[in-house]
Amino acid sequence: MTDYSEEVEKMTFEEAIAVLENLVKDLEAGGIDLDKSIEIYEKAVILRNHCRKILDESERRIQKIMESEGQIKTEDFDVN
Amino acid sequence: MPEVISVTELNSRVKELFARTPAVNDIWVTGEISNLKKYPSGHYYFVLKDPTSEIRATMFASARGRLDFEPKENMKITAFGKIDMYVQRGSYQFIVETMKQSGIGDRYIAFEALKKKLQGEGLFDQTRKREIPRYPKRIGVVTSATGAVIHDIITTSASRYTADIILAPAMVQGEGAAESIVAGIKLLNKINVDVIIVGRGGGSIEDLWAFNEEIVARAIYESQAPVVSAVGHETDFTIADFVADLRAPTPTGAAALILRDKNEIRSELRSFESRLNRAMDTYTKGIKHRFEVLDAKLDPENAMNDIDMRSIHLDELSKSMDYAFMQTVSTMRNAFNSIDSKLRPESALMHIESLDSDMDRMFTKVSNDCERIMERCTAKLDSYKDRPERAIKVLYDDKSNSLVSDSRHLEGVSPYNVLERGYSMITADDGSVVTSVEGIRIGEPVSIRFRDGTAKAEVKEKEKRT
Repeated sequence: MTDYSEEVEKMTFEEAIAVLENLVKDLEAGGIDLDKSIEIYEKAVILRNHCRKILDESERRIQKIMESEGQIKTEDFDVN
Repeated sequence: MPEVISVTELNSRVKELFARTPAVNDIWVTGEISNLKKYPSGHYYFVLKDPTSEIRATMFASARGRLDFEPKENMKITAFGKIDMYVQRGSYQFIVETMKQSGIGDRYIAFEALKKKLQGEGLFDQTRKREIPRYPKRIGVVTSATGAVIHDIITTSASRYTADIILAPAMVQGEGAAESIVAGIKLLNKINVDVIIVGRGGGSIEDLWAFNEEIVARAIYESQAPVVSAVGHETDFTIADFVADLRAPTPTGAAALILRDKNEIRSELRSFESRLNRAMDTYTKGIKHRFEVLDAKLDPENAMNDIDMRSIHLDELSKSMDYAFMQTVSTMRNAFNSIDSKLRPESALMHIESLDSDMDRMFTKVSNDCERIMERCTAKLDSYKDRPERAIKVLYDDKSNSLVSDSRHLEGVSPYNVLERGYSMITADDGSVVTSVEGIRIGEPVSIRFRDGTAKAEVKEKEKRT
C-alpha cells in the first residue's frame, strides 16, 4: 500500500475523486473476493485522505498578470 | 454688499424659472431609453439620450399606467412632458407625462445583426462549447482591477474549492475597452489557466457595449481555455454570453459556478465513505453468516445436542428392539410349552400305548391279507399244474418239423454237394481251404478232396493270372 500511497500523492484532486468513486462502485457491485475487497477498501481510504488533504490544506494565490513590450509579469494582487 | 442666498433658495429659483419658461414645458422630446429602472412604487426612472447628450427622466406610476405599451431598454421614443427641478440635489430632470414608440434603437439593430452573423458562422453552437473543468487549479479573470467584479470573485471563491486566481486587468467600458478585453483573454491563454472568467458589473447597455463587440466574441471563440461570461445583471444578454462556453448570471455567480462548495465536496466524500463502509459491511456480514453456519456445526454444544438427539433415537430403537425380542421370546416359549407338554412321561406313555395298539391292529390286518392272497395264489397254481407238459409237446412237434426242412436247405449249400457235381476242393495242411494262388507256397503239401476220396499232392509251381 506504500506504493499506492505514492501513486495517489501524485494525483490531482479530480483524478483521485474519480478513482475513489469507481472503487466505491466496484465494491458495491460485489462479487469480489475478500482479499481484493480489503485491497479496494484500503485504496479508497488512501484516496479519501488525499482528497481531504487537498481540500483542507491547499492555499490559493491571487495574482495580477500584465504584459508590456512582450514581457509577461505577474505579481501578487491585493483586492483591497 | 451683493445679495447672498442659500443653495436651497438658488435651486428653488431655478425650479421657478423652469416652470415659467414655455420652452421647457409641455414639449415633445425624442430619444432612446437607457438604464431603465422600475421601482416597486410603479415609478420608472431612466435616461433619455441621443448620440451626443442625455437627460434623466422620470415617469410616475399614474402616467405609466395610461401607456398602451411597456417601455424598454434601448427603445426609441418621443416623450411628452416638462423639465422639473429636484431642489435637494440641484438636478433637473424630464418628467414624462406620456410617450410614443418611435422605432427600434440603433444599437439594438447592430446587436441583432452581429448576433445573426456570428450565429451563422457557428460561434454559438452548443456542440463546440468546451467543458468547464470540475476542479480547476488556476482561474483567469479578465475584468477591471478596481471594480466590484474581481472583489466578488475573490470573496465568493474563498469558501470554495481552492484555486489560484490570476487577474488580467482590463478596461471594461469606454473607448478601447473591447481591445483591452481581447488582450486579457490572449494573455491568460499564454500562461495556461484552466478557465477564464470575462466580465463586468451591471450598467447601461452602453456600459456593457464592449461585450457586444465582434473582436471580443472572436477572442472568446478562439480561446484555448474555456470561457465563462459574467456580464452585468441576470437580464442583460451580450454577444459574449452567446459565444462563451458558459454564461454566469452575475460575476458572483461565475465563481460559484466554476468552483464547487467545499462543504458539498466534503459531504460527497463522506457519502463515498459511507457507501464504502456499507458495501464492506454487507460483504463481511455475508462472510460472517457463512462462517457462523459452519461454526455452528462445529460447536461442541451443538455436537452434544446432536449426540443427545442420537441417543434419544438409539433409545427408541432399543425400545422397539426389546419389544421385538420379547415377541420372539414369547413365540418361542409357546412353542416350547407345546413341545414340553408332549414330552411329559405320562403323555409319552399314553402315546406309546396308543402306538402299540395301532401296530397290533395293523399287524393283524397285514397277516390276514397275506393269508387270503396266498390262498388265492394256491388255487390259481393248481389250475396251471398240467398246462406246461401240453405246451412243451406242442412246441417240440413244431420245432422238429422246421428242423427237417432246415437241414434239407442246408444240404444244398454244403461244399460236399459241389464235389458230388464233379468239382474238387484243395485244402492246406492245417485243413483250411485254399481259395487263391496267393495262399499257397511252392513245395507245400496239399490235400485234394474229391466226391469219393482224398489225394495228397505237392505244389510244383504257381502262376497268378493277370
